[in-house]
Amino acid sequence: MTLAARLDRTAPTVSGRGQRWAEARAGSLLALPAAVYFLVFWVVPFAGAVYLSFTSYELAGVPEWTGLDNYRRMLDDPGFWNSAEVTAVFTVASVVPSIVLGLAIAVPLSKPGRLNGVLRALVLIPAAMPLVATSTVWSAIFADHGLANTLIGLVGIEPKPWLTDEGLALWALVVMTTWKHLGLFVIILTAGLQGLPSEVFEAAALDGAGPLRAFARITLPLLRRTLLFVLVIAVIGAMQSFVPAFLLTKGGPAGATEVLPLYLWATGFGFERMGYASAIAMVLLVAMLALSLLQFGVLKGGDDG
Amino acid sequence: MRALRGTLLSLVVLVMLLPVYAMFALSSASDATDLGGLAFDASQLGEHLSQLFAEGGFPLYLRNSMILSLGVALLEVVFSGAAGYALAQLTFPGRRMLFAVVVGTLSLSPIVVLVPMYLVVRQLGWIDSFQGMIVPFMMSAFGVFLVRQFALSVPRELLLSARVDGAGELLIFLRVGVPLLRPALLTLFLLQFLAQWDNLLWPLVVANDPRLWPLPVGLSQLQTEYDFSIGLVSTAALVTAVPPLVLMFVLQRYYVAGLTLGGVKK
Repeated sequence: MTLAARLDRTAPTVSGRGQRWAEARAGSLLALPAAVYFLVFWVVPFAGAVYLSFTSYELAGVPEWTGLDNYRRMLDDPGFWNSAEVTAVFTVASVVPSIVLGLAIAVPLSKPGRLNGVLRALVLIPAAMPLVATSTVWSAIFADHGLANTLIGLVGIEPKPWLTDEGLALWALVVMTTWKHLGLFVIILTAGLQGLPSEVFEAAALDGAGPLRAFARITLPLLRRTLLFVLVIAVIGAMQSFVPAFLLTKGGPAGATEVLPLYLWATGFGFERMGYASAIAMVLLVAMLALSLLQFGVLKGGDDG
Repeated sequence: MRALRGTLLSLVVLVMLLPVYAMFALSSASDATDLGGLAFDASQLGEHLSQLFAEGGFPLYLRNSMILSLGVALLEVVFSGAAGYALAQLTFPGRRMLFAVVVGTLSLSPIVVLVPMYLVVRQLGWIDSFQGMIVPFMMSAFGVFLVRQFALSVPRELLLSARVDGAGELLIFLRVGVPLLRPALLTLFLLQFLAQWDNLLWPLVVANDPRLWPLPVGLSQLQTEYDFSIGLVSTAALVTAVPPLVLMFVLQRYYVAGLTLGGVKK
């Protein structure tokens, strides 16, 4: 219970019908735009997406009820399965290193000190840059004569066609995405680490626990809530990622980077198959919700840690 | 130990900033063959800048992005602010229902409702218009939720003493509520500005007219338009990155507060 709510009980109240009427009037007035907005732009579209996913609908015509046809078609659609797989690989491959590296940087960075204060500001720069700008730069970094090939050339590796090789393109996107979001996760984890009670660590040090043991036994369990938050936003962010694949590779070569959001966009607005695109959207939504719930279940455990 | 840690951390951060530096170096690249170098040539960058602002497209994209981002951010602050305050502090009919819708919407994202949202905007006749780009994002579940959480901690006695003084509810909102909500509203302004500055998907869907394109759509087009003049495209990327970076540094406290919302135990 918040302090305000606790104080509230003892505080005198202005009550009576006059006050209730005044609150109802002001509240309705302040909330009315929100009610209209959420109805028109979220509730109706969401209901629409569910409905359209059971129809065949090209922009020029009218939606035609086809039952489960879209979902059945999805099962046999190699394009869909390819995108689902690309998204799964992309998500795992970009989330895991982001969190591991993020934690490795956040632990020392969360300690007090002037230098750390400066570094904490600098580490956010990639995250604050627009994704469109970073995508442009990274497409030049991954170009034939780009920085990536120059750097691997220094250790004697042959230049590689990063963005046009089926085996490499997705990994190039993973590298860029990890780099882009790392600072974000570092800062969130740093804030979480700084909020941990220092007495526990002092007690552990007195008991003779080494830094590694203290990290595994105290820091990680106490940080669970922050880790869960980072994990959920990282996974959901990766599953919805559209811009890097759109700007760096356009989903190519040969569909190797055609993530699900890109496939959805192309299905709906490239081929104007709105019903099928909506069915893909539903699958994406269910997958995101299921994964979030799973993460809550696994990491939340019994206590409210 | 401390010195070693500092040196190591500094090195890691430097490596992270290498691509940012590469953006500067690339902006001064004269042709597609010197992409791998990290030399920076200020005069070449100046030339690219004047070229970029002399041609039709880019200044227009910049202006459109300003209209879109400022418009969305300001509307968010006003309307999500009002709704968040009302949900936290006032009792009115439909309050529970509205809150349930807000919480439900939190788990949806634009990509999920992309098709029907487009159909709604088309129905309203807003394809190829600023309304079509701005209004669908003029509020957000995240924004309402953020303001509500923050407004819950506003001490009731403050509102109460104003009520005892006979002030109307709307006046109390403006005079007492808004000043207290300032940090939350600033955070919201910043996050929504940054989000719209970087929004590619929605303008791509609703704006076919190049005169309405904001920077993300324009930039993706420049890549093909200038026939791989990497120097020019990187300069455009550099200019695009400046407003968010400036805002982020000025409002860093609010930025971090927004990011860590929900992730840190209070």
